[in-house]
Amino acid sequence: MDYESLKEQWSEIEDRDGVRLSWNTFPSSRMEASRLVVPIGALYTPLKEKTDTPLLQYEPVSCKAPCRAVLNPFCQVDMRARLWICPFCLQRNALPPHYKDISQDAIPPELHPNSTTIEYRLARPAPSPPIFVFVVDTCQEEDSLKALKDSIIMSLSLLPPYALVGLITFGTMAQVHELGYTECAKSYVFRGSKDYAAKQVQEMLGLMPAGLRPNMPPQPGRAPPPMGPAARFLLPVQQCEFQLTNALEQLQKDPWPVANDKRALRCTGVALSVAVGLLETSFQNSGGRIMLFTGGPATEGPGMVVGPELREPIRSHHDIDRDNIKYYKKALKFYDNLAKRTAHNGHIIDIFAGCLDQVGLLEMKGLSNSTGGHMILTDSFTSSMYKQSFARVFNKDADDNLLMGFNASLEVLTTKELKVTGLIGHAISLNKKSSSVGETECGIGNTCSWKMCGIDPEASYGIYFEIASQGGPNQLQQGPQKGMIQFLTYYQHSAGQYHLRVTTVARNLSGPSGDPAIAQSFDQEASAVLMSRIAVFKAEVDDGPDVLRWVDRMLIRLCSRFAEYRKDDPSSFRLEKNFTLYPQFMFHLRRSQFLQVFNNSPDETAFYRHVLNHEDVSNSLIMIQPTLDSYGFDHEGSQPVLLDSTSIQSETILLLDTFFHILIFHGETMAEWRKAGYQDQEGYDSFRTLLEAPKEDAKELIQDRFPLPRFIVCDAGGSQARFLLSKLNPSTTHTTGSYGGVSQTAQTIFTDDVSLQTFMDHLMKLAVSGTG
Amino acid sequence: DFGANAGLAAGAAQPVAAIPATGMPQSPQEPLAAQFGQMNLGPQSVQQAPQMQPPPQHLNQLYPTDLVTQPFNVMELDLPPPQINLPPNTSATPSPYANCPPKFVRSTLNTVPTTHSLLKKSRLPFALVIQPYTSLHDAEDPVPVVPDQVISRCRRCRAYINPFVTFLDHGHRWRCNMCNLTNDVPQAFDWDSAAQKSVDRWQRPELNHAVCEFVAPQEYMVRPPQPLVYLFLFDVSYAAVTNGLLATSARCILESLDRIPNADRRTRIGFMAVDSSLHYFSIPRDGSESNEPNMLVVSDLDEPFLPTPTDLLVNLSESRANVENFLEKLQSMFQDTQIAASAMGSALRAGHKLISPVGGKITVLTASLPNVGYGKLEMREDKKMLGTSKEGSLLQTANSFYKSFAVECSKNQVSIDMFLFSSQYQDVATLSNLPRYTGGQTYFYPGWNAARSEDAIKFAREFSDYLSAEIGLEAVLRVRATTGLRMSTFYGNFFNRSSDLCAFPAFPRDQSYVVEVAIDETITKPYVCMQAAVLHTTCNGERRIRVLTLALPTTETLANIYASADQAAITVYFSHKAVERALGSGLEAARDALQAKVIEILQTYRKELAGGNMGGGGLQLPHNLRALPVLFLGLIKNVGLRKSAQIPSDLRSAALCLLSTLPLPLMIQYIYPKFFSLHDMPDNAGVPDPATGEILLPPPCNLSSERIVPYGLYLIDDGVNQFVWIGRDAVPALLLDVFGMDDRAAIKQGKTSLPVLENEFNERVRAVIEKSKDHRAKGVGSIVVPTLYVIKEDGDPSLKLWAQTLLVEDRADQGVSLQQWMGMLREKVVQ
Ligand SMILES: [Zn+2]
Ligand SMILES: [Zn+2]
Repeated sequence: MDYESLKEQWSEIEDRDGVRLSWNTFPSSRMEASRLVVPIGALYTPLKEKTDTPLLQYEPVSCKAPCRAVLNPFCQVDMRARLWICPFCLQRNALPPHYKDISQDAIPPELHPNSTTIEYRLARPAPSPPIFVFVVDTCQEEDSLKALKDSIIMSLSLLPPYALVGLITFGTMAQVHELGYTECAKSYVFRGSKDYAAKQVQEMLGLMPAGLRPNMPPQPGRAPPPMGPAARFLLPVQQCEFQLTNALEQLQKDPWPVANDKRALRCTGVALSVAVGLLETSFQNSGGRIMLFTGGPATEGPGMVVGPELREPIRSHHDIDRDNIKYYKKALKFYDNLAKRTAHNGHIIDIFAGCLDQVGLLEMKGLSNSTGGHMILTDSFTSSMYKQSFARVFNKDADDNLLMGFNASLEVLTTKELKVTGLIGHAISLNKKSSSVGETECGIGNTCSWKMCGIDPEASYGIYFEIASQGGPNQLQQGPQKGMIQFLTYYQHSAGQYHLRVTTVARNLSGPSGDPAIAQSFDQEASAVLMSRIAVFKAEVDDGPDVLRWVDRMLIRLCSRFAEYRKDDPSSFRLEKNFTLYPQFMFHLRRSQFLQVFNNSPDETAFYRHVLNHEDVSNSLIMIQPTLDSYGFDHEGSQPVLLDSTSIQSETILLLDTFFHILIFHGETMAEWRKAGYQDQEGYDSFRTLLEAPKEDAKELIQDRFPLPRFIVCDAGGSQARFLLSKLNPSTTHTTGSYGGVSQTAQTIFTDDVSLQTFMDHLMKLAVSGTG
Repeated sequence: DFGANAGLAAGAAQPVAAIPATGMPQSPQEPLAAQFGQMNLGPQSVQQAPQMQPPPQHLNQLYPTDLVTQPFNVMELDLPPPQINLPPNTSATPSPYANCPPKFVRSTLNTVPTTHSLLKKSRLPFALVIQPYTSLHDAEDPVPVVPDQVISRCRRCRAYINPFVTFLDHGHRWRCNMCNLTNDVPQAFDWDSAAQKSVDRWQRPELNHAVCEFVAPQEYMVRPPQPLVYLFLFDVSYAAVTNGLLATSARCILESLDRIPNADRRTRIGFMAVDSSLHYFSIPRDGSESNEPNMLVVSDLDEPFLPTPTDLLVNLSESRANVENFLEKLQSMFQDTQIAASAMGSALRAGHKLISPVGGKITVLTASLPNVGYGKLEMREDKKMLGTSKEGSLLQTANSFYKSFAVECSKNQVSIDMFLFSSQYQDVATLSNLPRYTGGQTYFYPGWNAARSEDAIKFAREFSDYLSAEIGLEAVLRVRATTGLRMSTFYGNFFNRSSDLCAFPAFPRDQSYVVEVAIDETITKPYVCMQAAVLHTTCNGERRIRVLTLALPTTETLANIYASADQAAITVYFSHKAVERALGSGLEAARDALQAKVIEILQTYRKELAGGNMGGGGLQLPHNLRALPVLFLGLIKNVGLRKSAQIPSDLRSAALCLLSTLPLPLMIQYIYPKFFSLHDMPDNAGVPDPATGEILLPPPCNLSSERIVPYGLYLIDDGVNQFVWIGRDAVPALLLDVFGMDDRAAIKQGKTSLPVLENEFNERVRAVIEKSKDHRAKGVGSIVVPTLYVIKEDGDPSLKLWAQTLLVEDRADQGVSLQQWMGMLREKVVQ
């Protein structure tokens, strides 16, 4: 099969199963596997929207414990004996009685060859409706607070009427609003400077059952409130909409005075820990989102990231590099502990930042990363970037159900040749050991099961594997041997039931050593994304230069292994079609904001990395290697051009998509004409059309994008143009420009201000020398 | 003589017609007063020679009496105190108000011994009973005000110029009657520079009135006058919600908003509620975007903090409508509570934090024992301890927080009043420390329940009056005296900031204070002066000084001392001493000390003044001290001190609070209650006196069951409770007249009220009961509305027993009868 057909196939599989693999043929020996350089990995989107397959309304048929694999198209079924053989453990299982009518002509949907991915709605109902706790920062200017309040009030109409909602506001202090109280506005106030233990929070909110509270004997003859004590704070939208809207509308800027040389006191940490505590007692393992809206950094109490003195700036990457960080470690520890607790409880934390400055995302990132929450970094709550991104959180499916799942677990089963080594994405380990767990660790490893408190149709996870078998293919089986993986995703559907999504992946195992099928099965796009996730995962713990060196080394080794060349002759270097783009991806990856952090704030880095770890292959590739399109008189519509400085022409308009930014760049002449107003004059229709075209296309791009990208229109020579220039391959300016921004140490092979050409030259030289 | 006067007026224009000082009480028209006013200067300035003159003493005569042959008659209690006989022309003006009237200050000795040894020999105490205010409101008993801010004070001892100074040097200088220093007379005494005309200094209130008030100028303020601030601290735990306290107090405040002093529109008001959490209420200004109150709950009891910097303490005028809205809501806000805990200690600290920047009053309304948070208390009363020597410990403070916190409050001008309503042990002993050191008061309503209309009405009336009282703020009391005298000990509710300065964050109008006076040096003058000054901010934001100056003659003989001793003042002094002793050493010790003291006085009198006379019964005292033994017996038998195993310690502690704060007339009534026979009252009783329009009371009876006939109807009134006693043979006609029913069994006993009936006798009985409560007639301010109980002689025995404990002269419980008491005293004295 040629490369184009393979790509087509992979794309179909992706549509059907939400899976892209780095290698689509599995090596059959460990030795072979070790030479692949890029690990066997899957970028899996468990809840990818599927409209073509039915939702099964019955319980799945599972293999015996401990295997528990679910019946799938790859199972051998003995229709007469009504038995099936589990391909994972090879055990025989009887089909349940109600499958008695099974026949060649009447097979249940899950056995249909196209049902490699199928979803069940389970009989198990969710313990409670979905919960939304709004945690609102009141240290904001009136206009931005107003915009924020409006957006939250608007969101109430997007929630199912039975969803439970709660409100916590914070500034100098944190307040939990008792929405169930109707005599007047009532809230519980927590001191902003104090680190409240979980138990204290619950006691102070009166969440302990009456009999357990100290000095509070239950009053005889009085029944406890029906929904538990937390029902005072969390109520169905339909019941408390008036109260909540009122509370939001009455919300004022934090009343505590702020001196001119001070930041407002903002106790984000306390507010979050109170929110977590509120859900912890009564709603453990019921799906819920804690939505934090913060207008600035925490300056008070546990989790503070900067002091209240304005003359003290918030930490930068340089400060972190120099270990000049007063609050960083303490704050990180605080939020990480909180993240662990929240994830354990099965709740999500979303962070919406509306602030020109940093808010401490770096410290707080664990909250969203561990719980599958969203992270939205915007300049202000008045911006459309915030408003639209926020609204998209509440997107709904065709049945008017929120496109969000809660409290999910993803379990991976493998046939014996494969072992799972880990997962990279917004999840935590469930520490489940099984025969599918490998010896090495990549990302969050040593488990075959992970927990995602929040999961949505776009959420994609990098899952990595190793090969366990020492020898060749199993001689006992006939036909091409297959390695199989089954992904089992249990989650609380927003409609109120638990669902199970089953995706079963089977790929051929390679033949005898040196089987060319392996190289041909290389999906360079999926591989680039899977490698990027590993690089970013490493960058979170290792030094930047170490990670860059690792990226380089892996690239050189991959090329040494799969390119055709004569030793020590760079000019003889050739790559197969399905490898040719991979070095470019790596070139752009190492220049990207994911690994080059010094041009961004630590908050931005945390944000970019968070988004990368959530997206599928194609979105991730845009982030790694932005797309650039050109518009000019000489061609109709847009034309993809090289992400290269040579693409800047005075008579063209460029449209850059970095995923986070959409940029329209007018070449010099274009800009002059536009400024002269030709587009408004008669006879210049084509110019007007040309100006409009990239805008229309940009609109198209941002249609489904989450978070909404920042939209920039700029001209050649304008200051905003730097966004474009920083992304382009500096092929024409490499001697004068400095695009990477950081000087490299001597051991680094490549420097950042090299052009792609120079990069490739070095790569070829090193690959053929066999020094990788 | 006119010549000298002309000299004085030389620099000034002709004296103009006197304009009476505002607020001066109507003085009886003395036709010669004006003339005396002109004349007094001459002779007196001559008289002011440095050497002692043998005074032309007309001191009180000693009238010895025999207590056994002439038993005590209750009417003697109503006699005025012994007269103060000053040498002629002692005061600078002949005003009849030149000396302090007894309703403001009473001295235990109206003739003062000149030496310490003579005082010691007398075995009588020398102390002043000071009651700076005689009514809850200025208008009910106004004192003259010096409005021009000219305050002349002695440069050395800082005494205020008063009617007993002497003018020298043609009236340009005055000699201090305390320390003898001569001071300049301010020019403004004679010349009004603003109006550019001369004025008559002799019209100045401070030279005519021993009791007057100065409006203080700027120098008397360390900060702008504090506004009146009320912070209400409501208990909202299960007990306080279910007994109706919260709803009743909220409604009462709502209905009394117009009565809270607020003439200057600066009065501020705030509300907090407490159960196991603290509830703050932020109340917006009227006309805000939202007019709804906001409840902010703080459950973190560790360190008090304010949940918001604004709107917790609001200007009553600016937020009036929203305060009303809040109080309407408050009545039902906690109706579903199940919380049985009270973090009152923490709430107090939070309340202190809230108002301490300004100062003010924290009014606590609680029905619970503070059992969580700061200063948490335990149920420590054990019935088995009552009546034993261990009982005393229950009267002591259980947690030092309450004392130290009260002192902290005093420093920050925060005063606390406790309204206590528990039906169970509430530790009044400990809680009463808060009012004690902050110039507040403890009001105790045992077993109160709003469902009982009598309870609800009593509290609502009292609380409304309480809110209306024109209390003073950030006050200090200092008492100065003629050289040789020294104020040694102060008793009452305040914080003794330094040896002679008492601090009152709020100055109440319903309490009195006792100051013991020491004689440090031999007094060579024919009379001495003592001057109490209360510097305070009125609730209308004016800084004022209320000055009370008392002059007393001196003597070198014991007989004169005894002839002028004030038995009521002495009893009040010993009541304070007994409370001090009870709290320190226990009840037994307090009672023993009282008994020892009365024996000592009787012995001293017998030995020193009666010549060891055994005539008659052998127990003699001068007529003015004849009530002393029975008053001491009453004190020993008072619920606060009585030997008994039946009295809950909270009841005792509350009584001890009264025994150390009540104004003298109420204190005497509390010790020896009023007892009226109603069924046979004279025709003029219970109807208005034709001359004054005031209801006349029947003559009081001695508190002895011998006075009770089976067919009779009586009223016993100790000022706290009133008992209407129905004899077992009361005739149906009487019952029908008074209760509207002739079936005695149908008459409701216990806490109740009398029906309003259309018959003369019912009206007269009710009038007597009402008049018996009349504080103004007694010359005191008080909010207390006594609880009325109907007792049937053959009805509920416990109720009957309770009423009988007020019959001081009877033998009851473990107490002796008056006859036994006198017999015992005689035994001890005569031995
Ligand atoms: Zn199996
Ligand atoms: Zn003096």
